Amino acid sequence: MGREIDPIEQLKEAILTYDTELAADAAQRIVAEKVDLLEALGAMTAAIRLIGDDFSSGLLMLPDLVGAASAMTAATPIIEEEIKKTGVQRQGSGSVVVGTVFGDIHDIGKNMVVTFLRAEGLTVHDLGINVRAEGFIEAVKEHNADILAMSALLTTTAPEMHKVISALENEGLRENTKVIVGGGAITEVFADSIGAEGYGPNAPGAPALARELIGR
Amino acid sequence: MLKGFNRNFKPLEILTEEQVESIHQGTLNVLQEVGVQILHDRALELFQQNDCLVDLDEKRVRIPPSVVEECIQRCPSSFRVKAREPKNDLLVGGNRVYFRNFPGMDTVDLETWERRAPTRKEYYDLVTVLDALPNVHALSGYPYFGFEGLPEVMKMSEGEAAKARNSSKIQIVTHSQSSEIFSIRIVKAAGGEAFGIAHPASPLSYYPEALEALFRFTEAGFPMHAGSGLIMGATGPATIAGSTVSNNAEVLALVVLIQLARPGTRLIANDFVHAQDMRSGAPAFGDIASSLHVAAFHQICRWYGIPSCTSLTGVSSSKRIDFQLAYEKTIPTLLAALAGSNIVDLHSAINAELTAHPVQAILDDDIAEMIGRFLEGVEVNDETLALDLIEEVGPIPGQFLDKAHTRKWWRQEQCTPQATDRLSYPEWLQSGKRSAIDYAKEKHEEILATHKPTPLTTEQEAEIEAILEEQEEYYSKHGLLA
Repeated sequence: MGREIDPIEQLKEAILTYDTELAADAAQRIVAEKVDLLEALGAMTAAIRLIGDDFSSGLLMLPDLVGAASAMTAATPIIEEEIKKTGVQRQGSGSVVVGTVFGDIHDIGKNMVVTFLRAEGLTVHDLGINVRAEGFIEAVKEHNADILAMSALLTTTAPEMHKVISALENEGLRENTKVIVGGGAITEVFADSIGAEGYGPNAPGAPALARELIGR
Repeated sequence: MLKGFNRNFKPLEILTEEQVESIHQGTLNVLQEVGVQILHDRALELFQQNDCLVDLDEKRVRIPPSVVEECIQRCPSSFRVKAREPKNDLLVGGNRVYFRNFPGMDTVDLETWERRAPTRKEYYDLVTVLDALPNVHALSGYPYFGFEGLPEVMKMSEGEAAKARNSSKIQIVTHSQSSEIFSIRIVKAAGGEAFGIAHPASPLSYYPEALEALFRFTEAGFPMHAGSGLIMGATGPATIAGSTVSNNAEVLALVVLIQLARPGTRLIANDFVHAQDMRSGAPAFGDIASSLHVAAFHQICRWYGIPSCTSLTGVSSSKRIDFQLAYEKTIPTLLAALAGSNIVDLHSAINAELTAHPVQAILDDDIAEMIGRFLEGVEVNDETLALDLIEEVGPIPGQFLDKAHTRKWWRQEQCTPQATDRLSYPEWLQSGKRSAIDYAKEKHEEILATHKPTPLTTEQEAEIEAILEEQEEYYSKHGLLA
């Protein structure tokens, strides 16, 4: 890719062609060339929305979705770091704590949800995999999370979600924190049965669900 | 040229070498000792001129092994058939496998499953759908047997005209009441070639009309279908070996006659042998005995070096699109393709040769795609072995979903069906609990709204119109049309 292309365009292009190296390069150029950082975030959101839409319509498949998410993930930390450094003010948005529940180490789907939520401008705290109830509680308190998002692929680990919700209640956090769940083992019926507010069958649907629950 | 699918592994061999030899020797013995009944003077004469023993009173022809073997040698082991548009040419033979539709007399109501004659529009629409589907590589004798309001004698040629108008794929031209005189001209007017067809009346007999058509097709220079139609236990032995011998004799007698009529004629041996349902007397469509026969048939044809095809695979005894239909179509189709059939009839037929529907053709296209993908086999090279990638990814948390290698290869390695429900359970609920048939119906609408078959020129259209008019006059003169 020649240098003559605008770095914002390069970033979009990198996400749409799943090119992680190109994405990281674009992010570094954005920082070096002092391009508007919020505009860069907006470009990423626009690109990942296109990917999400094409996935929803059946044009793209999981490898494309993950490929685009990877490209975005390669650029995000570089831009986030610069935002912190320069103190650019972002519009207030929701805060989400995300993790795969204890006993479960699957994270491909969870990582995609993280990418899609971040692309929508939500502040996402990713706790990773194999997260115990205490870990979720601590993070919800620390970040004053609007949403707790839990993932489970295994039917054997799904009940762990119920445990986390009970812990939220015991800690008096339940009223202010909406719970959304997803993953291979989860159905809408299960989500209802444990009292979760939201359920999503795939990653591109996560931002809309989160926005609806936060009401912003 | 249409690529079809290449079978990249050894074909299924149901017979040992000794068994093939036994069936071949048995066939030669039947042709020489029992002979075949030929109810056509010109054919009798031709056999007689070529060292066959002809009993003119009994109209019985006994064919010596040397003549049979000489005529087998004259058959090209592979050949090209030219379509109206070169992109639809076929290269028949070798490891290549094509799929074709199989006819049904009537259309069927997808709610009540009752039969009725199709309208003219429905007839043309079925041809359009077959033209659009990527895994229909050629068209059968007729998609439906005519349409509403058409005089009986015009059904074949009007069908040939419909196929020529709404598709540029190679078709088979059939015959009824000398309709082939006009159908051959229709195909030629449209440009390109078609398969002519000749078939026996089992056991071991050949009617005048079929043989007259054989001569007309070979004179036109068309490649030929040497057909068959034996029913195991009714018009042939109930055993698979015995029916294979009897059918083989019937097919080889046609091979001999075709190669005597026009040496070097491109020819494909067609298998249409069925087990019989011993309660109703109807062919037991989808019965596994037929598939055992099919496997033996193709193995022997391969041994002869004659391309072969299967016409009994696309049909079911079921009256509706259901589980029975799916397995009675899929298992024989898969086995025929594995056994080395060069063309396999599959698309659109539902119940026996009685009903067909474009929605079924769309569902069948996914079966063809799956089987075709299987035939392509396993590609093994440095890139597909992916050793570097496996090393790069390593154990968990490594994963392959985000790798360029995955994006490059998964579509080639998998088969992506067009009308299959693969939704997750919640998505399926949201979709209104849609099934494969719902998807196929939607695709049907989409094809009819978007697919535009390559049209004939005004001159070609006028010529076909004139041929059909001439044919009507011909039948009026012969008292076959009021």
